[in-house]
Amino acid sequence: MAARSAFRRALPWLPRSPVASSLRQAHHVPSQRPFSTSLSASTPNPSSSKDPSVPDYAIPDPSRPTHFGFQTVTEAEKRERVAGVFASVAESYDRMNDLMSFGWHRVWKDHFVASLNPGFSPLGDPPRAPQHILDIAGGTGDIAFRLLHTAHVVNGNPDVRVTMSDINRAMLTVGKHRAARQLPASQQAALSFVEANAEDLTKARPLVPYPPDHSTSPDEYTGSEQPFFDPATATTGIPDASVDLYTVAFGIRNFSNIPAALREARRVLKPGGVFACLEFSKVVSSHPAGALFDAVYKEWSFRAIPLIGQLVAADRDSYQYLVESIARFPSQDEFRDMILDAGFVVAGDGYENLTGGVAAIHKGMKPRE
Amino acid sequence: MSSPAIPRPASVAAMRRILRPARLPQRPVTATPESCRSVCSGAAATRPGALNASSLRSPPSRARIPRPHLQPAARSYHSHDHPPPPGPFTPAESALLSAAYKRVPEHGFTQEALALGARDAGLLEISPAVFPGDGVFALIRWHLYTQRTALADTVDEVAAGTPAGPAGVAERVERLTWERLRANEAIVGRWQEALAIMAQPSHIPASLGELAQLADDILYLAGDVSVDPSWYTKRASLSAIYAAAELFQTTDTSPGFRETRAFLQRRLAEAAQAGAAVRSVGQWAGFTAGAVVNVLRSKGLRI
Repeated sequence: MAARSAFRRALPWLPRSPVASSLRQAHHVPSQRPFSTSLSASTPNPSSSKDPSVPDYAIPDPSRPTHFGFQTVTEAEKRERVAGVFASVAESYDRMNDLMSFGWHRVWKDHFVASLNPGFSPLGDPPRAPQHILDIAGGTGDIAFRLLHTAHVVNGNPDVRVTMSDINRAMLTVGKHRAARQLPASQQAALSFVEANAEDLTKARPLVPYPPDHSTSPDEYTGSEQPFFDPATATTGIPDASVDLYTVAFGIRNFSNIPAALREARRVLKPGGVFACLEFSKVVSSHPAGALFDAVYKEWSFRAIPLIGQLVAADRDSYQYLVESIARFPSQDEFRDMILDAGFVVAGDGYENLTGGVAAIHKGMKPRE
Repeated sequence: MSSPAIPRPASVAAMRRILRPARLPQRPVTATPESCRSVCSGAAATRPGALNASSLRSPPSRARIPRPHLQPAARSYHSHDHPPPPGPFTPAESALLSAAYKRVPEHGFTQEALALGARDAGLLEISPAVFPGDGVFALIRWHLYTQRTALADTVDEVAAGTPAGPAGVAERVERLTWERLRANEAIVGRWQEALAIMAQPSHIPASLGELAQLADDILYLAGDVSVDPSWYTKRASLSAIYAAAELFQTTDTSPGFRETRAFLQRRLAEAAQAGAAVRSVGQWAGFTAGAVVNVLRSKGLRI
């Protein structure tokens, strides 16, 4: 406890500190939704009259305030800033993940995919059904490649196709190049790339690489196109009840409007389909060992990670945002309640803590009507 | 020696009490025959089967035990020490697990059973992925939970007794434990796999918790009302006996699990014998220690 209070004195601005809580109070977030990424709009939303079952906070509104790390910005601004962050880190993203988590993120991702067991089907009659997996915020493909490997190789089920989707074209382009380098042809054939905003999956288009020529890095590219998906260019969309498994790993905290994204996930999933989310979460600090671990973890994330970002990726601000967004993400129970609120059912606690709560797996199932 | 006019003191200590009543409250109460008598009768009352002797402790039937109205009509009984939460399973989980449970005799406690159950329930083969960690353990817990709660429905039949007289607590414990073992019948061929999964380190706490709740439920339903340390020893010994009997059952091929029931009865009889022996030794040791202390006091030693 002594060490913990020393850390608290040294870092008075950490989450659970007065700063974080006063931020929350300052914006009058409703108490039943103690942590919404989208603070309730002061002006009535014109589109809210369309569907009375969708609450206001779950309807994307570009002018509504939300947070970007410890700053408060509008939803539209957050979208652009997040796009900027990931466009600038796309090239070094995988290397940085290894450095920041000592390679442990691979263990989390392996466990995440193993617990989903995609493509598993009992042998015998009737023949197994094909599965469609949608990997949102698929980025550089870590999850999608593991899903394909488990489905095609471990479970021997070639009837599984994966759609990798990301709002950020630079990240998705890195993923496409990695797929071409790493995956066997049969798995590449089962993988497709789609640009889309997870809050509105009715608008999407197949990936147009950014930058068009991979030899230029995103920083040097000076073309007229934006590094993130523009809904005006949409040519297709993801239909209702078309997806068996919706995964999002280390992406959902960057969304401008999480409730809207959860509802969109529910829309595209088939009844019985599973929503699975791997995300940084809150360290369980209810016992002394956990509290000590929490303090060490906070120290590492707020002091070391921005420094590593500066040294390795020459981009301190992006990694400062990364750790701040982790600190601002809701706790396990709050996020589970958001999943329930979006119309999913959960099993047990609804989540599974990894490494003492540094990360957590949340799952929900779309019930049958 | 003693004159008939003077009542003979029951013990040296009682004599001291008469002689020096003022000092008595300051010293710890030692085992006198009077105090021993109350302890002994207490011990006798907690012995299984002894409850019928006292009209104050008639075997409680389910109807007579007042139950707190925590969840009206959700459950048919309520354990007096552990008010159960609304059941560990949500309706969606229950639908999936009950469908998968029907596939267990054929496919075991496996992902196959879960996937087939999901299909039977009108869901997708991927649906069991919703369980945190491994869905297989949820399926095992479903068996443990549903069979444990189903015991409450058999309790009236178990308490009915025989023509010889109403069943005692020990007898009802034996019958309830047997009812619970019989509920394994459908899946007993797969139960060794399940025991192996339950013995995995991450599942041990939940498995032991279920075992403890089972022992608690059996003793509660049997009408055991002890509130002394035997509350723990009874539950611990019943848990051990049940676990052993279940293990025996997985290799039992006798018709109707006759051998398992004989095994269960032998173990329960041994536990009762051991309990009686421990109580007798404790009683003897307590009395002897008290007597030694009193003899020493009578010699003028200030203890």
